[in-house]
Amino acid sequence: MSTPASPLRIVLKAALLFVLVNLLFAAFDPMPALGKLSLYNGLLPGRERLPYGDDPGRAYNLSLYSLKAMFASHQLHGTPKAANEYRVLLIGDSSVWGYLLENKDTLTSALNAAGLQAADGRRAVFYNLGHPTISLSKDLLILDYAMHYQPDLVIWPLTLEAFPLSKQVSSPLLQHNPQRAGALILNYDLPLDPADSAFVRQDAWGASLLGQRRNLADLLRLQLYGVLWAATGVDVHIPEQVERHAIDLEADERYGEFLPPELPETALALDVLAAGIQRAGETPVLLINEPMFVSRGANSDIRYNSFYPRWAYDQYRQWLQAEAERQAWHYADLWQAVDNDQFTNTPIHLTPAGTQQLAQQIATALAELFDLEKK
Amino acid sequence: MKAEIISKLNTYITSEILKRPDKTLSATEALISGGLIDSFSLVDLSLFVEQAWSVRLDDTELNAETFDTLEQLAGLIEARAS
Amino acid sequence: MTLTQILIFAGLGLLAGRLYRWLDRAWLLFAASVLAAFWLQPASFVRNLPYLLPLASLGLAALVWALTLPRRWNRQDAWAAGGLTALVLLVSASRFVEPLSALSPARPPGLELAAGGLALLAAAAVLAYRLGRGQAAWLNSGVLLLIGLLVALKSPPLAQATSAWLRGLGGQDPALASTLDLGWLGFSYIAFRLIHVLRDRLAGRLGEVGLRDFITYIVFFPALTAGPIERVERFVPQLQPGFVLDSAGLLAAGRRLLSGLVMKFVLADGLAFFALNPVNAWQVSQPLWMWLLLSAYALRIFFDFAGYTSIAIGLGQLFGVTLPENFTQPYRKPNLTQFWNSWHITLAQWFRAYFFNPFTRWLRGRGAPVWLVVLLGQLSTMGLIGLWHGITWNFLAWGLWHGLGLFAHNQWAQFAKARPLPLEPRLASGLGWLATLVFVALGWVWFALPQPADAAHVFGVLAGVGR
Repeated sequence: MSTPASPLRIVLKAALLFVLVNLLFAAFDPMPALGKLSLYNGLLPGRERLPYGDDPGRAYNLSLYSLKAMFASHQLHGTPKAANEYRVLLIGDSSVWGYLLENKDTLTSALNAAGLQAADGRRAVFYNLGHPTISLSKDLLILDYAMHYQPDLVIWPLTLEAFPLSKQVSSPLLQHNPQRAGALILNYDLPLDPADSAFVRQDAWGASLLGQRRNLADLLRLQLYGVLWAATGVDVHIPEQVERHAIDLEADERYGEFLPPELPETALALDVLAAGIQRAGETPVLLINEPMFVSRGANSDIRYNSFYPRWAYDQYRQWLQAEAERQAWHYADLWQAVDNDQFTNTPIHLTPAGTQQLAQQIATALAELFDLEKK
Repeated sequence: MKAEIISKLNTYITSEILKRPDKTLSATEALISGGLIDSFSLVDLSLFVEQAWSVRLDDTELNAETFDTLEQLAGLIEARAS
Repeated sequence: MTLTQILIFAGLGLLAGRLYRWLDRAWLLFAASVLAAFWLQPASFVRNLPYLLPLASLGLAALVWALTLPRRWNRQDAWAAGGLTALVLLVSASRFVEPLSALSPARPPGLELAAGGLALLAAAAVLAYRLGRGQAAWLNSGVLLLIGLLVALKSPPLAQATSAWLRGLGGQDPALASTLDLGWLGFSYIAFRLIHVLRDRLAGRLGEVGLRDFITYIVFFPALTAGPIERVERFVPQLQPGFVLDSAGLLAAGRRLLSGLVMKFVLADGLAFFALNPVNAWQVSQPLWMWLLLSAYALRIFFDFAGYTSIAIGLGQLFGVTLPENFTQPYRKPNLTQFWNSWHITLAQWFRAYFFNPFTRWLRGRGAPVWLVVLLGQLSTMGLIGLWHGITWNFLAWGLWHGLGLFAHNQWAQFAKARPLPLEPRLASGLGWLATLVFVALGWVWFALPQPADAAHVFGVLAGVGR
């Protein structure tokens, strides 16, 4: 017979055990391994775009920071590249991801529906790797990871908002992947600071089970939302009423921290763009200047839209065109490819019909540049 | 006395409630929680007890907690009848 | 109760367990329960309501105590009344003392309102004690008052009107009133405990209970939010001195608490991600997926409620009070009658004791045919159990669904008794289990979806017809 322990000792032992488990968790850091565990592409179908959700409960989708978990939930991860597949990855901002658009209406879906074929007969399959924050560095982070999936072509739609150096590290996805971001900065000698205070670094406490509870919960929630994603096909919540972007504009000549007449090239992340093309290596990259709304309302002589004053955007366009020619990049300037009434809540988010227009223009460019033809 | 009550209850329950006069219940078998007697039959049983022994079982007592076996019910009746 | 609140209660239980040599447990539970009634009450947009609702709970308890007391008040009751007043004023004083402000979700009203409310309640209690103590007319009026309050809170149009009226009183815009304003914590359970006491007093069965223990019984903090509905004669004796929190008791309580936490915060909250609701009901068109969503709902509602009960029981054990079980593996029962003997047991027993049994007795006394008595008894009882969850069509439909099911099972059982089926008993019980499970699951469609059109759609998809 053992003597009964006192209640106090039971409590102390439980507390000790809890501390021990936390220390072990921090020591072995199982988060990366856990990120790869996924119900998607197995029990559940893979997602058609990367996880992101402003309203998780209604979108059956949520934003998280683990690139491993994000990609593990994507159909790209579960689709071995077939011999007759010509693989095209789309990276970029929310207009690529398809903000306020159902999956069937995204740019990727429109391109897939076009039924394009490479010259050698391989079928072009497009994958949506857009992610709703605007930053070239965030695009680079995703491209760097996505190159493991052996693309034959990368399509990279751009807009001026993604270029200012001051905005590069503002994407939460980048902030929460400081190691990957730091490696990219060093490898490509980017004009960014790997010690930037915006990067979220983990201390010993943060690595413990208790410190990681938010990330663990996110991993779990991503799996749980997968059931309704599978059952309903819903991965975005589209409100019934969406406030349209402004048509009448302020008489404001400023663009962020910049004043006319000159947009200093050194303040723009051209190096990040070049790094992306370098990272793609043999795989060609098609750069596209995204369509945007061009106002004819109040003060439209000063600004194109709520994002851009005319002077700054004009300089950006000329400069990107010149740079593409100089470096022999594949480039299509489609800034006016979409009718003015086909923009939703921002000057770059498109309606389904607007997306169709853009897809047709891109298909034309693909035919000219890469011999991708409709069969 | 108690054995007599149990036997009388047994006869009533097997013939009127279970409709199996050939069956004999053990004195410690769980009647309510075991699912042999439903809530409606319980009211009938209490009416029978009232008639046979002039013992009132309150509405709040018709549950497995107050009595669940013939033994317990007979004990209750015995205690109240005296 | 949030996870934090539960852990704080558990910590209090551990601490108190070391102090019973110096600390009287009955007084501790009294004080903790009174304060917790304010602390657990959720915030409301209606001014002062988070303070007034718990005050009303305590006031109603005191009033019913005064009406039902089978003896004269004594010195301990006077101490309890004084303690109650002091605690209520303490919560009110949290308005001025920063560290106390955690006691209440919103800034409590000024002392004058608290004092006024207390004076009013004291006057009502004294009046009830002097004029109405033990009198049938007064006791019945008490029952009617409580039922009236339940109806006003649980019927959406009446709750809306009540909220608008309260907003008007406080000088707020009545047009903003919402049925969600009146989140009176635990009132469904409080009212049923009070009605039980009043009915038992009417039947002359109520024993002697002092004010202190009576208040503790009505607002006992582990059982305040979601039951169970304990019976007073079982609860009060457990407050007697002599309880020691030993290691065996601590382990048992801890195990119970932990299993409740896992059921509520892991299983139920996890299943909630894909449980049927009015929105996803229309997004799913495949029968198999719909069955999955419905199964998730059925499991979620069980783990949520059974988990909460388990937490209540575990916390109760920490303080030396054994609360009754509310769920005993209901989804493993071979028929609907046994399901209802193991689902929300204390509520079903309450309805059996105070509605079904008297009603059936009355019908039997008038010589109504047996099948009719069973049908009427089950339909009315289950209909009322449905309405207890909310006075809306869907809860009524859910109740009637189960009433019909219980009637059908009763008739089937009568039929089968006479002609035993040529089936192996284990196979028969397996089939019964499956049929019961499907029947209960289909019943949850009513429960989960307020609109009949939603329910009709879901039934269609489940059956593989219509989309």
